[in-house]
Amino acid sequence: MLGSKRNKKGQVGETLTWIVATLIIISVLFIFIYASIAMAKVKSVGSGEIKSKAQETIGKEVDWIETKNEMAFARDSSDRVRIERWLNEKQEN
Amino acid sequence: MFFIKNKKGADKMLSMYWFAIIIIVSVGVVAMVYIFYTAPYEVRDAESEVLSNQFANCFSRGGLVNPMLASVGEFNSGFDLLGECEVNFVVENEYGWSQREQFFVETEFYSVDDLNNPKLVLSEGNLDWKPSCFIKDKKDEDYDRLVKCNEERIYVLGEDGEQYLIKILVGVGKIDKNVRQ
Repeated sequence: MLGSKRNKKGQVGETLTWIVATLIIISVLFIFIYASIAMAKVKSVGSGEIKSKAQETIGKEVDWIETKNEMAFARDSSDRVRIERWLNEKQEN
Repeated sequence: MFFIKNKKGADKMLSMYWFAIIIIVSVGVVAMVYIFYTAPYEVRDAESEVLSNQFANCFSRGGLVNPMLASVGEFNSGFDLLGECEVNFVVENEYGWSQREQFFVETEFYSVDDLNNPKLVLSEGNLDWKPSCFIKDKKDEDYDRLVKCNEERIYVLGEDGEQYLIKILVGVGKIDKNVRQ
């Protein structure tokens, strides 16, 4: 009688342990699934990933448009402040 | 004796339990991989920037204006934007894209004397997309379903030393392939 009761107590304890373990496994799984959904939403190839050959060679950021503007300023920089203000007014996306 | 029989039953239950756990974890891993790898890549930002750079490269060569575009202080209103800049807006024949253009470009050409009123405006493609470029509410859940735009401004000089300013606005639709439905 006493042995059977003790055995039952042991079984209950063990079952509880497994139930908790299962819950932990399933919740970890759900966290990972949620993370993969969040990561899938932000999958993008931004302009930062596109590097020109020149950029790779000299190892620093080169802005294609800025380079063109600088080339024009090198030829004629009169009214530079006003022109630069206009150039910087471009809308950011 | 009773104890031994009971233990055998418990072992069987335990192996079934592990089998169930393996199945649950496997289904979870497959779900994670499926969710991540079936999500489309958003490439429109890069695409619009590449297009704007192509147009900028077409208008400005080493800081000088393309002679086909402007000469002697006058812009050429007959300038073939797509032909001269070697760009085409042909897209895959999917999602009914062939019926509705998925790109647009609008270029405004200014003289340095008047930076508010363009001397010439040239555009190509589907200009119905243009108003979407000015919506800035990135928190809105439908924001990703709008056209992706890129604006660039360049400064160029004419052969005669005339100063010109050019605004390039490019928009890329292609929502069906870049945003999860």
